Amino acid sequence: MKILLLVAGTFVLASIARADDHGPVFGYATPVNSQQEVSCDTGVFGRNGTRGTQLSTGTGCGYGITPHLTFSAFLPAAFGNGSLPESRLMPGGEWTAGASWRFLHSVTSVGKRIESTASLGIVVPGPQQDSGVFARLHREPGVAGWLASGYASRSQYLWFGGGYTSFAARAQDRRPDTISWSGVYGYRPVKLRRGYDQWDYRGFAELTGEHTGNVRSGGALLANSSTSSVWLGPSVLAIFKDVAIEGGAQAPLYRDASESLYGRERVRFALNFSYLRFSAHNTSR
Amino acid sequence: MKKTVAYFAFFASTLTAHAEYRHVDLTVFGMDCAPCAHAIHVSMKGIPGVHTVEVDLNTGLVSVGLNSGSSASIRQFNEAVERNGFTHKDATIVATGKITGTAAAPFFEVSGTEDRFALQPAAAPSDLAKLLGKTVTISGTLPLAPRGKVPDTLRYTSIAEAQ
Repeated sequence: MKILLLVAGTFVLASIARADDHGPVFGYATPVNSQQEVSCDTGVFGRNGTRGTQLSTGTGCGYGITPHLTFSAFLPAAFGNGSLPESRLMPGGEWTAGASWRFLHSVTSVGKRIESTASLGIVVPGPQQDSGVFARLHREPGVAGWLASGYASRSQYLWFGGGYTSFAARAQDRRPDTISWSGVYGYRPVKLRRGYDQWDYRGFAELTGEHTGNVRSGGALLANSSTSSVWLGPSVLAIFKDVAIEGGAQAPLYRDASESLYGRERVRFALNFSYLRFSAHNTSR
Repeated sequence: MKKTVAYFAFFASTLTAHAEYRHVDLTVFGMDCAPCAHAIHVSMKGIPGVHTVEVDLNTGLVSVGLNSGSSASIRQFNEAVERNGFTHKDATIVATGKITGTAAAPFFEVSGTEDRFALQPAAAPSDLAKLLGKTVTISGTLPLAPRGKVPDTLRYTSIAEAQ
């Protein structure tokens, strides 16, 4: 079973930038799985614009090799056609897989921790055809790296993260490199700081931003295909022991994208369900 | 007060017991959410002999009760915390075992395990010379040891010969 999960985590592909099961739904966060913990996510992620709505659903799983190293994989399926710009924060039709390493972990008081996590993954085009500008491109895999740091306590959460994704070229076509970043603040009111056998709620304000480079098509850069955007919105996370439900929506604060190429993206939304299976296995006496 | 009574009851119940840990309390650092506590709960319950686990997220206190005859070791409790990415402070224990060594340098061996601790009084010292070689029930504190290590000293608060 362990080998199967490892193989799946290494070779199957996915959206591992976000720690959906434990943190914000749009932004980068630091949590990784416990040793031998299996986490599974399934959800719906949507982007709506003037050219339609693009939905992505799928299932992702993570496995904790050690308390600080997690392999993850996510296999999405996309529905609808929004002709929207490239995004690495919102899942599309790409399969991704990779590993997250929590290289800084400071836990020196009750209920608080400061940590930083680095992740590296591969992004592979799924079997589904892209829409809009990307429908005409030959597709090749890419590499994604991201870094997140944060503070978590019983009352407050604060995470910052940034990532970069670069795709290989094929037949003189190339998807744009993407820079993504996020800042997330979370709060749990006093009344909700309850026992672990009760529902645990947190509210987040999620600020995200992305810049995509120009699309290369047939050896030439497509004019005005570079985009920049900043998004802000609330999300709520509810957890009971080993299940979590989270949802949120974002609206654009800033948008610089060619409307003739991409239309006008108006809203992003997400609803995610997670199951966390912790291990009771004990290794020594 | 409730806790003192519970401890006393536990302590009294172990006077006729075998050698083992009967109760372990750990203050765990870094747990901020329900899944953190659930992970600790599942890990502790996975240790053979553990019958109750209570986790308080607001104080970080993890309270573990063990069955009579348990052979669980302190390393297993430490690992249950560390495998979930947390750390803990001192551990407060109630355990039954044998006093070995000498009156000047006594040790406490938790039978059924490989755990052996040098004894130091937390307050007024007991007369350990008369307990040498005997099975006792002891309560005390195991100080924090470096990650992956087991403490080598037990600061006892009470000690009594087991019947």
